[in-house]
Amino acid sequence: MSGFKVNRRDFLRVLGWGGASTALVGCDMPTTVTLEEGKEDVVAYFMPEEYVIPGVGVWYASTCTQCAAGCGIHGRVREGRALKLEGNPESVINRGKTCMMGQAGVQAHYNPDRLTQPLMREGGALKPASWEVALKKIAEKTASANGDRVAWLSGAVSGHQAVLINDVLNTFGSKQHFVHETIHASVWQAVARDMLGDAQPVLRMDKAKSILSFGADFLGTWQSPVHFATQYAKFRSGKRGVLIQVEPKMSLTGGSADAWVAVRPGTEGILALGIAQNLVKRGWAKGEVPAKLKEVLAKYELGMVANATGVAGDRIQRITAALKDHAPSLVLAGAPVEGGENGYDAVSAVMLLNILLGNIGQTIEPAAQFAEARMQARSGGTRGALEFSKLAAAKKLDVAFISHANPVYHAPGFMKMKDAMANVGFKVVMTQFPDETAMQADVVLPLYSAIEDWGTHVAAYNGGVATLSFQQPLMEPLYKDTRGFGDVALSLLKQRKPKEYAAFNDYYAYLKASVSNMPAAVAKGDKNKDAAWNALLQKGVLETKATVGKFKVNTATVAAVADVSADVQFPYRLLPSARLGLWDGRHANSPWLQESPDQISKVVWGSWVEMHPVTAAKLGVKSGDYVRVTSAQGSLEAQAYVFNGIHPEAIAVPLGQGHQEYGRYAKGLGVNPYAILNPVIEKKTGEVAAYATRVSVTKLDKSARLVHMGSSDTQMGRKLVSTIPATVYRRTEGEA
Amino acid sequence: MSFKNILENWSAFRKDAEAGGHHKYDHRWGMAINLDVCTGCNACSTACYAENNLAVVGKDRFEKGQAMHWMRIERYWDDADRQFPERGASFLPMMCQQCGAATCEPVCPVAATYHTPDGLNAQVYNRCIGSRYCSNNCPFRVRYFNFYSYYETWAEPLNQQLNPDISVRDKGVMEKCTFCVQRIRASNDKAKMENRAIADGEVQTACAQACPTGAIVFGDTMDPNSAVNKLWAKHEVKRGDYLSKKPKVNAEKRGYRIFEELNVDPSVMYLERVREEI
Amino acid sequence: MFYKHVCKLVLPPVLMFVSLLLISGAPARAELAVPPGVTPPVGTHAGEDVPQPIEFPHDIHVNINKINCMYCHTYARRSKVAGIPPTSKCMGCHKMIATDKPRIQKLTEYFTKKESPKWKKVHDVPDFVHFSHERHIKKFVFDADLPVENVEQVCGLCHGEIKAMTVAKKNKPLTMGFCRRCHEANGGPGDCWKCHK
Repeated sequence: MSGFKVNRRDFLRVLGWGGASTALVGCDMPTTVTLEEGKEDVVAYFMPEEYVIPGVGVWYASTCTQCAAGCGIHGRVREGRALKLEGNPESVINRGKTCMMGQAGVQAHYNPDRLTQPLMREGGALKPASWEVALKKIAEKTASANGDRVAWLSGAVSGHQAVLINDVLNTFGSKQHFVHETIHASVWQAVARDMLGDAQPVLRMDKAKSILSFGADFLGTWQSPVHFATQYAKFRSGKRGVLIQVEPKMSLTGGSADAWVAVRPGTEGILALGIAQNLVKRGWAKGEVPAKLKEVLAKYELGMVANATGVAGDRIQRITAALKDHAPSLVLAGAPVEGGENGYDAVSAVMLLNILLGNIGQTIEPAAQFAEARMQARSGGTRGALEFSKLAAAKKLDVAFISHANPVYHAPGFMKMKDAMANVGFKVVMTQFPDETAMQADVVLPLYSAIEDWGTHVAAYNGGVATLSFQQPLMEPLYKDTRGFGDVALSLLKQRKPKEYAAFNDYYAYLKASVSNMPAAVAKGDKNKDAAWNALLQKGVLETKATVGKFKVNTATVAAVADVSADVQFPYRLLPSARLGLWDGRHANSPWLQESPDQISKVVWGSWVEMHPVTAAKLGVKSGDYVRVTSAQGSLEAQAYVFNGIHPEAIAVPLGQGHQEYGRYAKGLGVNPYAILNPVIEKKTGEVAAYATRVSVTKLDKSARLVHMGSSDTQMGRKLVSTIPATVYRRTEGEA
Repeated sequence: MSFKNILENWSAFRKDAEAGGHHKYDHRWGMAINLDVCTGCNACSTACYAENNLAVVGKDRFEKGQAMHWMRIERYWDDADRQFPERGASFLPMMCQQCGAATCEPVCPVAATYHTPDGLNAQVYNRCIGSRYCSNNCPFRVRYFNFYSYYETWAEPLNQQLNPDISVRDKGVMEKCTFCVQRIRASNDKAKMENRAIADGEVQTACAQACPTGAIVFGDTMDPNSAVNKLWAKHEVKRGDYLSKKPKVNAEKRGYRIFEELNVDPSVMYLERVREEI
Repeated sequence: MFYKHVCKLVLPPVLMFVSLLLISGAPARAELAVPPGVTPPVGTHAGEDVPQPIEFPHDIHVNINKINCMYCHTYARRSKVAGIPPTSKCMGCHKMIATDKPRIQKLTEYFTKKESPKWKKVHDVPDFVHFSHERHIKKFVFDADLPVENVEQVCGLCHGEIKAMTVAKKNKPLTMGFCRRCHEANGGPGDCWKCHK
């Protein structure tokens, strides 16, 4: 299936059907047995490239933009249409593999609800406009804007797109680039920065023999899932590593755990300190343990920890022993820990385990950062939207540019993003879809899909190799009135600094010039810049010089972790769990991803409320019953899914649904748990404590079958998924 | 094959079957799926939708069990009676097992499903009359029936994504996993054009190619040097001797086939999940 | 009707009669030769006239100018589809040749607009049939050591005597029976899933 990869800019002049018997399969008349003569059209290419052969797929290298992980992809193109995406084996991030969202990249491109022309607000409503008029309007409205009254809110961006955003803001003298991502690892990064001196340490799962993960869904939603999955495969092969997952609700990663440990939501940090105390007490801690630290740990005796976390004392001891026995280990913390009101302290406690277990330098290595600071990934959490919404609400913004993000949907309800945005003088939204944020804009600029656009990407988590990954169009744009993000940003720059950017006709010219001037791009004495450029695009990734840091281990920030308070009115903790697939809701408009069942509950096309059978019995609820989940901020209704992979004190409502706009497949389906989050902020990082909302649940007088995949939840004694103890595995193939 | 013929030549047919069926195979495509590294992430399933023009049926039809997921991940709870599922979930990628002695084949009234010389369980759409006997007779529940003309539901321009190398099925037709036969045929053609044999790893199914942990290994089980054949050999799972009384599985090895006791000779070998006691 | 059109444009009245004999093949004329060692598929089909945007004269190109089928249908040996030649390829010759003819002027019009004519498909098989040109060319031409200039004999097995036509007309049935009989006679695969998938 290799085909051959060639990359050129203007590869197809005519979107033609190649012209023969099979080209129209499925598109025109799939049901009709067309044996008539002269009924179907055959349009030849006008002037094909040499390597384009009708009926034969051509593969182009590009970069996936379905999430911020930055996986390299190969796209199969036949007769001018992008048909299928696969992983690019050259990419160190994903090594030729893809996740379900990457596979669905073609549906983001061919989505029937894309914006096809610019929109402008006239008399309260958004009306179609031409690019000239829309850009003129932007020029008028931004002419007198300056300084920090101009802001740009985006999702995670990197590479030349980040540079352009920065440059546009510079022309206004503004430094206000806010980055908002609902699914993030900001607290982990902050703790790593403070305790290791490196915000993005490289996690070597392939070297680890045990992983203790406190809610880090690294196979599903944490940082770079495909990368970690490739590492996980190595972790599980040969001398098989042991995975212990501690979390209040089973994540995708939890599903693969050797030991899945349900913990009282919000007390993961206490458990981490308990394990640390146990390590020190049993003399298994590596290196000198500072006196101050011993003081902090002193009160985390087994009994106290077991009481607070709901994890039995002997279990804690066994977990501690497992980490020692299966060295080197690796300890991680993910969303449920990071999202607590005590998130920073809890993650610090987790990071402390890595230090005590001697993992630093073993399974945790210093990051190799992409050398050019301006192109490094701007990743962020929910703090960006919080700060933006405050500025907007206080009428401190005259102009706001929004790209790669849909804050009106994504921001928690308490931020009142929609109302806040109404106070911004002039809002320009660059997007591919009629999303919630676009509906609030003054000007909406419709963008190319990722499959039509140019770009460069620098992964925030790069697995230890600094690379620049190229995004190039796989096909001609579907809609002539859409434009690339880089082209739009260049237009904005040309409005303000026409002379400086006159040399660049389009983003392609800008990219090519910029990349060709990067020392790494023309290394190996290659004089021919065009050949080097084509080779780069063909490979898809460029390995560059990296700045490798050194760890400065510091345990002084480790402090006691506050216990979570009980609440009679709101007895449960709400877990707005993320899922690989719909992600934070950005993929709710993909029919494939909607129809693909949630990996754990197997529910499709909607929202559900997860609860433990104990909780369900208390409420008199069974799977399929409608329940109302109420917080201090509001309530939502959905069907219950009762299973025992969740702590009885927790209620989980998955992210991804509850869109009020966003096209036919997403609109009006399910509920968004972020709408009822309490305004709890993690104090040391300023991030929204998304897992700190307390809720009550009431049963509603309505029930229906919960639409999900599969009819049996158990194997009913059949040998379908057979499991053997690791002792047997070790005897037969473990040392191989 | 007349009834008289069956009666007269029964022992010959039976011997043939024991020797691996009536076919002189030139390839026997097979899989090995390592359940210990399968994370249940659904990448395979979505890749299958993208490759094979699978219909999205929507919520209502999904509820009626009409989903068309050729490749699905079953999730079982083995600890449902305990307080918590302490050994995680049991994920099972399930697709057509391309059985060597498939139960779907003999019940088809029009021979729309039959065995190919490369060991695939073929489904010929233009031959299928939609009796659904095959699906009723499949122990794995991996055959999917087109109750509607789903091609009408591809909203423009979603239909431009459809893979031209494989048919879009119409109402009244049964369909199922083909081991990405279009990819096999394309690789086969390419190898023939270059006057060589098809190499191991040259053809990958969409699911195997996507799988982030490499849990799915696909290849020719007749090729002694293929990765999949080595796995089958290592785990002592043999094809074809399904009529013998020998024990089917070596308990010391991780390899097994689902419903081995039915003697359908599946082409998919699973490797057992491993769990450490903590 | 078509020949009248051609002749009016190209030939004086006397030659018209002769050319009719030459081009369209008078009844007495022999069938297109069959490649050695091949049992040709059996069956005929009375094809309809398919009006095309430009009345492309296969006869002039093949019969008079002796252009090989694969010169224009260049993908036949490299892909499952034979391909319609790109407009730029037509213009490769017709920038210079016969530029005064109305059909060429029409072609030039397309070319200057950077468009391709919308041809109508003549030889069509159902969507569930996957026919590969390259495999057939390989078997009957390259593997059989047939001189490439005789490739028309192989094309002719399914397409008939195109060189005797102006615009192509379907004159073989291209039904499954037609395919199967040839596969049986010449050792082609008998597996349903080779062609249906």
